[in-house]
Amino acid sequence: MNLTPLLEPGWLNAILPELILSIGGILLILFDAFAPKLRGATAPLAVIVFLAAGWSERLLIGGNFFGGTYQISGITAIFDYTFLLAAVLATLFARAYLAREGFERGEFYALLMWGTTGMMMMAKGLDLLVVILGLELLSICIFVLVGFHRRIAVSNEASLKYFLMGAFATGFVLYGTALFYGATGSTNLAAFSHYFATADPGNPLLTIAFILLMSGLGFKLAVAPFHGWAPDVYQGAPSPVAGWLSVAPKAATLIALVRIFSSMTPVIQQASWMKMVAALSILSMIIGNAVAIAQRDLKRMLAYSGIAHVGYMLIALLSLRDESVAAISVYVITYALMNIGAFGVVSMLAKNQNDPQTLDDIAGLGFRRPFYGLALTICMFSLSGLPPTAGFIAKFYIFKTAVDSGHMTVAFIGILTSIVSVYYYLRVVYFLYMKEPETADSHGETQAISDPRLPISVLLDADIFGTGALLISLIGIFAIGLFPTPLFDAAGAAARALLP
Amino acid sequence: MTNVLSITLWLPIASAVLLLVFPKTAANAIKAFGLLASIATFIASLGILGQFKEGVAGLQLVESLAWIPQWGIRYSLGVDGISLWLILLTTLLTPVVFLSSWNTIHKHPKEYVIAFLIMEAAMIGVFVASDLILFYVFFELTLLPMYLVIGVWGGANRIYAAIKFFLFTIAGSLLMLLGIIYLGFAHYHDTGTITFAITELYGTSLAPHAQTLLFFAFALAFAIKVPLFPLHTWLPDAHVEAPTGGSIILAGVMLKMGTYGFLRFVLPFFPDATAKYAGLLIALAVIGVIYGALVAWVQPDMKKLVAYSSVSHLGFCVLGIFALNQTSIEGSILQMVNHGLSTGALFLCVGVIYERRHTRLLADYGGLAKTMPVFATFFIISMLSSVGLPGLNGFIGEFLILAGSFQTSPRWTVIAATGVILAAIYLLWLIQRVFFGPITKEENRNVREIAWNEIAALVPLVILMVWIGVRPNTFLRKMTPSVQQLLQIVHKTDASKAMIARSSLPRHNSSLAPDVGGVR
Repeated sequence: MNLTPLLEPGWLNAILPELILSIGGILLILFDAFAPKLRGATAPLAVIVFLAAGWSERLLIGGNFFGGTYQISGITAIFDYTFLLAAVLATLFARAYLAREGFERGEFYALLMWGTTGMMMMAKGLDLLVVILGLELLSICIFVLVGFHRRIAVSNEASLKYFLMGAFATGFVLYGTALFYGATGSTNLAAFSHYFATADPGNPLLTIAFILLMSGLGFKLAVAPFHGWAPDVYQGAPSPVAGWLSVAPKAATLIALVRIFSSMTPVIQQASWMKMVAALSILSMIIGNAVAIAQRDLKRMLAYSGIAHVGYMLIALLSLRDESVAAISVYVITYALMNIGAFGVVSMLAKNQNDPQTLDDIAGLGFRRPFYGLALTICMFSLSGLPPTAGFIAKFYIFKTAVDSGHMTVAFIGILTSIVSVYYYLRVVYFLYMKEPETADSHGETQAISDPRLPISVLLDADIFGTGALLISLIGIFAIGLFPTPLFDAAGAAARALLP
Repeated sequence: MTNVLSITLWLPIASAVLLLVFPKTAANAIKAFGLLASIATFIASLGILGQFKEGVAGLQLVESLAWIPQWGIRYSLGVDGISLWLILLTTLLTPVVFLSSWNTIHKHPKEYVIAFLIMEAAMIGVFVASDLILFYVFFELTLLPMYLVIGVWGGANRIYAAIKFFLFTIAGSLLMLLGIIYLGFAHYHDTGTITFAITELYGTSLAPHAQTLLFFAFALAFAIKVPLFPLHTWLPDAHVEAPTGGSIILAGVMLKMGTYGFLRFVLPFFPDATAKYAGLLIALAVIGVIYGALVAWVQPDMKKLVAYSSVSHLGFCVLGIFALNQTSIEGSILQMVNHGLSTGALFLCVGVIYERRHTRLLADYGGLAKTMPVFATFFIISMLSSVGLPGLNGFIGEFLILAGSFQTSPRWTVIAATGVILAAIYLLWLIQRVFFGPITKEENRNVREIAWNEIAALVPLVILMVWIGVRPNTFLRKMTPSVQQLLQIVHKTDASKAMIARSSLPRHNSSLAPDVGGVR
């Protein structure tokens, strides 16, 4: 039994970002309650809280805390920054959205903060119970955020779906954890490492436990065949939430998986559990990309493309090396920029939440609203992995690790499905620039919007917060695409520290 | 100026960024600025020509900066005898496009000019990059503007053509990307240093099995781009639907990225596999020559006819490359330039009459030589250059290719030579039906004669056609050392030694080129 004191020196620093976010969320609700007239200021305040949490990352001291259940290291910092980036982008996009829909509330941003806290716990947990705690905190926030638009049926339906499925998924994770506890006598990952160093790979109990755990976490990742909820939930959720939901929880689950998997070596390779992961990856890439072709609704299309992207990220997970962890961190940051950016454009273009955003709705938009059109185009090219965008660098990194570690078959399937994916990403560009709007309604809009002024002045009277978020996305996409060196250095150093 | 390559490369991009601040409505200012920017780029590329040292085989004017040091990827540029003329062809054809489309582009002129400038930079980048990843980035970057050019400014069926063009090319290039990564790692395991510098990767030792797979990964990407039979089906669609400017660039430069890729990468990276599968590529190339010519013969649509003639002419280039000797490869490179000039001019001419009569069907024309004598002269010169009339450029290229490849594969060469005859048939028939005979349609009586901007676009092309035809040595002698070096790399391996022994002619043969020049 572990007798080290539960509160090591420096423990307060270890959870500083989480504390700032939790308290910030509470204060934001209070602010909203006591000063309802200043509601417009909640979003900027929320951004300040996120920035403060990001700044506090610099005060962290690396090491294990709380009796070896909580680890602070370079890689947790990188993932914390990713969660905060996703949250800031979602906040900026959400402001105009919430104002438009008429329910600007402090709770919305508070829930984003608490959800981010949950993800930080998942990223840092060295004990399966801490991971599950973080997962639950995150899930509860997601249930509410998805159904935040409570007067609209699709939003409620999405929330209920996510709740029912999520409850099942958590049950699977807990059951798997219980079985692991039965086999190893602990839920701590350090204890796992000891146990698995000499474990019998043929032990069926372990295999069942692994399958249960992967099913539960696979749900959070929206990996095929546990992806069924994703399109409906993304479609029903408020668009900024959908963008955030499509990125941040996946990143948190992936880093948790990296830790769990690396504590299970070498059994995880011997018992061919990695073949199961490879199968999930291949299935996700094929199903995600193939079904995305059939989608007309942009949010549903992005949902299926997200399933495929998790498939690509899982490729890197197949070889548990520092390179692959670095590849995953580069991919999630890139994915946050491009996918939340794409959802952001969808959110800014919609007139209201009930208004479905189909391909026909964006017909001819590239020339009518040049900035949004260009932004969506760049996000699409980045998602399809074309240079010189970040998507290319991220995908290149994934395939590089795959080739280096000898996973040629998976890499080959990844390339083939990428070719398929180009088709539906390109179709968005086709609708943006090459198709004229069909309805009379849109024609009226054409006359109203097309004006011969400079693009700059058109920009200025648009939603400043959303435009700012889009600019962050676009600059990020090109910065990583053209000058990835600093990010590689940071991710590489962090990953080497994580996996000795 | 030591960084003349970078200047040529970035000038169009910088101009495109500047264009963003132009108001949408100032169409003439936008077009004028685009034209000036492309002329400035051409002048910068003349600087490359001026500083190019004859007699040097390797890369010249080299620039190299660290880009992604973790992966050994560098921003490194260089030019040699193989790429020199292709760079100049690119910078020449872009102002030609702007001139020719001065009065024809009314829809979104700003986006049109920006697309072409970015495309120009990407194409220059393809030819000057001496890092494999940098090359790949530019190779892919050419797709986006061309996709938009076909899709936005194209004909009725443009969407289908644009998507088909994009998907065909990307399918090949993504597989090549996997091959590039694999090659990089093979070199890493071989030498312990990670690099994607092209010259470093020459001579990477690969297992025969791996070499074959990589050969096909690269060859597929470039064969789609060329396009080689049976991967050519995207080309007629893309050409027919593309606006005139798009067709000129597509045929003039983009197809050459495929043949250039064969020369720069496939041959020196995989010499064993090249020796082993050269026969297959030659066979496909010759089938392309004949097939393209026969299909062109029966086309009722002028643009489609020229498009299929491209399949036929590019077949000659691939034949010359895989014949693997000095004469044929020099002929191939020259023929790439020739095809850019003559087919570019032909597409331009087709665009000129299409813009006036809004039909491309041969049956709708006849007797145009009477109403448009100046235009007819230009069209006929371009056509004769494409046919390969002695005294014009096409003859030199085709003759060198056929003379060279006859050494190594006489049977296929004889078959390919019939392609020259077929080209004469379908192109002369085109001329006859469009320009001569009685005027059968009333509309053809009052067709407007060719305008100043179209003449300005055609004149430099015609001058070069004659220049190459009369003094090919100006062009050939700059490429000779680089081609010799390439052949040394290719023939160094054991498998291809037998090939040298079988035809110990290449060296003797290289003196043929000056002779040809002398006779003219």
